[in-house]
Amino acid sequence: MLFNSIDFAIFLPIVFILYWFVTKKNLKLQNILIVAASYLFYGWWDWRFLSLILFSTIVDYSVGIGLLKQESPAKRKILLWTSILVNLGFLGFFKYYNFFLENFINTFSLLGSEIKANSLNIILPVGISFYTFQTLSYSIDVYKRKLEPTKDFIAFSAFVSFFPQLVAGPIERATHLLPQFYKKRTFDYSKSVDGMRQILWGLFKKIVIADNCAKYANLIFNNSADYYGSSLALGALFFTFQIYGDFSGYSDIAIGTSRLFGFDLMRNFNFPYFSRDIAEFWRRWHISLSTWFRDYLYIPLGGSRGGTWMKVRNTFIIFIVSGFWHGANWTFIVWGALNAVYFLPLLLTNKNRNNMETVALGKMFPSLNEIGSILITFGLTVFAWIFFRAENMSHAIQYISDMFKHPGSFFLFSVYWRYKLILFLIILFVIFEWLGRGHQFAISHLGIKWNLLVRWSVYIIIALTILLFSGAEQTFIYFQF
Amino acid sequence: MKSFIIKTTFFIIIVALFFLLVLSKADGYSDPFYMRFTTPKQNNLILGTSRSAQSLQPSIINNLLQKSFYNYSFTVVHSPYGPTYLNSIKKKLNPSTKNGIFIVTVDPWAISSNTLNPNDSLNFLENKLCLANTSLVNIKPNFKYLLQNLKGKYYTILTANRGSMYLHNDGWLEVSIPMDSISIKDRLDTKIKDYRSNSLPFYNFSTTRLKYLEKTIDLLKKHGKVYVVRLPVHPEIYKIDQELIPDLNEKLFPITGIADGYLDMTNENHLYQYTDGNHLHKESGKLVSIKIAEWIKNTSNTQ
Repeated sequence: MLFNSIDFAIFLPIVFILYWFVTKKNLKLQNILIVAASYLFYGWWDWRFLSLILFSTIVDYSVGIGLLKQESPAKRKILLWTSILVNLGFLGFFKYYNFFLENFINTFSLLGSEIKANSLNIILPVGISFYTFQTLSYSIDVYKRKLEPTKDFIAFSAFVSFFPQLVAGPIERATHLLPQFYKKRTFDYSKSVDGMRQILWGLFKKIVIADNCAKYANLIFNNSADYYGSSLALGALFFTFQIYGDFSGYSDIAIGTSRLFGFDLMRNFNFPYFSRDIAEFWRRWHISLSTWFRDYLYIPLGGSRGGTWMKVRNTFIIFIVSGFWHGANWTFIVWGALNAVYFLPLLLTNKNRNNMETVALGKMFPSLNEIGSILITFGLTVFAWIFFRAENMSHAIQYISDMFKHPGSFFLFSVYWRYKLILFLIILFVIFEWLGRGHQFAISHLGIKWNLLVRWSVYIIIALTILLFSGAEQTFIYFQF
Repeated sequence: MKSFIIKTTFFIIIVALFFLLVLSKADGYSDPFYMRFTTPKQNNLILGTSRSAQSLQPSIINNLLQKSFYNYSFTVVHSPYGPTYLNSIKKKLNPSTKNGIFIVTVDPWAISSNTLNPNDSLNFLENKLCLANTSLVNIKPNFKYLLQNLKGKYYTILTANRGSMYLHNDGWLEVSIPMDSISIKDRLDTKIKDYRSNSLPFYNFSTTRLKYLEKTIDLLKKHGKVYVVRLPVHPEIYKIDQELIPDLNEKLFPITGIADGYLDMTNENHLYQYTDGNHLHKESGKLVSIKIAEWIKNTSNTQ
């Protein structure tokens, strides 16, 4: 079920009413409702893959119980590896089997040996990368004794399948989300209103910004041979806003929806395009994944302790694995590696933690220096997104080389005029984001001190704009990851 | 909780009302078809594809024939002759009409199909388009049409370019674009290229569509007189038309026999100006409308 669909618009109020009016007095019943609603939500796409979620839930729940009873370090390790192998095994099979097979065949072909192997027609289960990482975090934390394993199977099932964040995150930590299923939830008016506001802004990002940028980004990327110069640069720019609007919009809807049910999810985006360097960008982009890799990969590898070589190695590992997590394509690996290249100079010169605060906080405008830093970081990010969006490496390289073929076209006003509506929407969006950058999401505090009528008028205009651009129901990019 | 639900419901109702208000502002600039689904059932119809939609001007014909015509033509994708178009015509036609006049325009594309089997009516492309999914064709505002067919671009009701295309209340689609020789040639070249690479290789004559043309004429005959017309096109486009169905007149012969007259205007192709080779420019459309009206007048006088 898509958040931006009529189905979800019907589904959400029904679940909300059942949750607060029918099952309110019984925590267990409320959790059962969440599991049932989540399985319905997921099964709406393809019910066959529900068995994967259920299997993953049973395995990790059993591993948790096993770890609770087991004191022997060797046996505890076996239990942990059972969870890791099952979860990564599913992920590896569904997501990476064909990639590894093709590369294996190609490598042997280069060495002169012909290998014949059939690739499989595998359908990637929606959201597998997200819930796999979420359940893994549970097993690892229980193994490390950071978390008491749960004996409540329903609460654990609800944690694994919680519908707002099941298919595209935020990737929650068991230490943060699981305890919320043990406690009685009470309806909080201001939390719910804030949740509705966040849903509204998420829908705006998705339907108005992302879907409209997608139209042009797809047109330009899919026919990139017909374009050059400024049009290709605009294509990359549109994709930059598409992926941000799409993914952060999804996260906003997920977090907002959770709040309606009394849950707090972790923040996933923190105005990343206002970052002054790449290190800051990565502290603000897909935070739940970046911190996951930091905690479960980077730090166990030694992190930034140790010598220069260790730092370089770990940085490349984390960025490349992060790229590979997005998909089985060399373009994602190069995208990850490119970000590592951007990040490395900051790490080696100890400047990676220079910009920890929100830019120009408390001020209306940034300084010239800050503007320069933001633009450079943004430019580097846009460039890297070309690899992320391209079909394959040769497409990416051709795209970049064509982009610089006719530099004169960057000064052709008519090219920009052709995309005036979407450019206007992007500018408007950036202004809203800038004004709200000190908060959880852009309109979180918008007009909070204004007269009710004015504030409502702004919300109505936003909602109306969403409706006027609605209907195309484009899927979310991150569902494929 | 109560306050939250009441306020949320109130908010949703206000937004929905504003949304419907915006939709109700849709007009001839918003969409090239919408207005045709908002006018009352009609007694005199002009039927066909975009060649007819952009060329035949009811106001001109009305003056000469003292009738009130309505142009219910769409495009070759939406309204080739077939079950979908016939059903929609039935909805648009006033069932009590007794002595109506119907101008049925034909061209090779209107009786051809790009489906693998050109007679496979279940897979005709128009089955999923607006003529098929618009059950009410005479209601204003027609929310169902707008909601189903303007998905993802409802905003165009507010932002539509109020210049190049306008659908009149009588169904004539007026196109106003630059008519300098360079622009015309550009558009003609593009159209020829498009027809040769994207249409001609995939389209084939469809006996099913021809049968439905006959059914359409049969239906209209019950309500008045039916005149079949083949409109002029640019000579270069005509060549492509001929490649698709070289013997159109022969194929149409049994059908035109049941009509009250058949006028093939392709021998006048060179006399008119076209926006893109496929569609008559509005000034030429006016001349052609006059010619057709006069021909109908003369034909009906001699019958």
